Amino acid sequence: MRRILSWTAIVLTALVLQSTVFARVTLVGAKPELVYLVTIVIAFLEGPTSGAVAGFTGGMAVDFLLNQPKGITALTLTLLGYAVGTLRQFVVTPSPLLPVVVAAGGTAAGVLFYGLVSFLLGGLGEGAAYLFRVALLSALYNAVLTPLVFPVIRRVAEASRPTKVFRW
Amino acid sequence: MALYRRARHTRLVVVSLVMASLVTITLDYRGGESGPLAAAGRAALSVVGALQDGVSRVLDPVASWFSGIVRVGSLKQENERLRQQVRELQQERTRFIAVQLENQQLRSLLDLKESLGFRGVAAQVIGESVSNFEWSVTIDAGSSDGVRKNMPVVSGGGLVGHVVEVAPNTSVVQLIIDPDSAVAARLVNSGETGLVEGNRDQDLRMELVNPDVEVLPDEQVVTSGYQGGVYPPGILIGYVSHVLSQPGMLTKLVAVRPAVDFSSLEFVLVVTER
Repeated sequence: MRRILSWTAIVLTALVLQSTVFARVTLVGAKPELVYLVTIVIAFLEGPTSGAVAGFTGGMAVDFLLNQPKGITALTLTLLGYAVGTLRQFVVTPSPLLPVVVAAGGTAAGVLFYGLVSFLLGGLGEGAAYLFRVALLSALYNAVLTPLVFPVIRRVAEASRPTKVFRW
Repeated sequence: MALYRRARHTRLVVVSLVMASLVTITLDYRGGESGPLAAAGRAALSVVGALQDGVSRVLDPVASWFSGIVRVGSLKQENERLRQQVRELQQERTRFIAVQLENQQLRSLLDLKESLGFRGVAAQVIGESVSNFEWSVTIDAGSSDGVRKNMPVVSGGGLVGHVVEVAPNTSVVQLIIDPDSAVAARLVNSGETGLVEGNRDQDLRMELVNPDVEVLPDEQVVTSGYQGGVYPPGILIGYVSHVLSQPGMLTKLVAVRPAVDFSSLEFVLVVTER
């Protein structure tokens, strides 16, 4: 229960910050994709199941705030959380840059997938050039924010993990 | 065995969530605006709108500060020498300018309301779209204030957009710079009509203009308004920036500079009665 509340609070905070503070602090016109970043970090730390659930919840919350077909962000982030969580299991490098690289790559892939699904559903009127530009810039923005966001989420994850009891 | 069971559990969860997403997309398409998801959207807007209101009130100075840093990069060197000396005065001046701007915006809103003879609800912008693919703002007025879907929204400068989502205390306004936005418009001098479409942070595009018409630089473009349309006639949209069409084209394409500065939109008026 504590875990669910913690993840909900993190996703909600990301959502509100993105639509208030970060809506005005843009990088060459692009906002960061904070909900994507939160999903990637949760998947990175907790594995594919938690990543997929966090992605679905965050994506659904984003969808209901947009005037676009609902469910596309949820689908995107569910698959992104699962993919990042699964890939993480096969990467064993101790490099501190790994979360930054994963956040950048994951964000770019997620935004492009979102754009592709929106296009197939007839909802993307901005064109491919704009889509690639946003994917690149928001990936860069998320990479810059990862060193700030990652430790916070890791701390919350550790604090909300159920304590293991060993019986002898 | 445990590892295999865990992997199967993960796959089951992911497949369920993907199915749920696909069902949501289908329901949204089939249900439209009266479907079960529309009510869920309004509920989500109410919750997040209240949070946005609180957060934007508290963090607005922080956002302005960050935003300022991004914009004044080119002036940084010049300002550095004087910064220490004028810091206190600048802070006071900033506060004064903010109050003055707020006053100016509210006054121009009032003037517009009186000059166009509209009845409306004044509202403050409390949030912007969470997406990089949608240009909208959240305002602190909703159905309890008389705001309804498709009502036009203006500011002191001119046309802002129209309401696309309404919750009890908040609403979402699609801006005219959104590529999905289209406004029936008229060139003031020639009276020629066309369709103004959003083009993100670039100039608006006025399409379907008669190629034989002479378009003047800085000519005003206003809403043309038609029976049953969203926007009433005569609201300023912007000014002609330049003509984009090539010779031989069937229609003229005109670039229109928006009259409203969407990067610093703070107060708006929702037109409830025309």
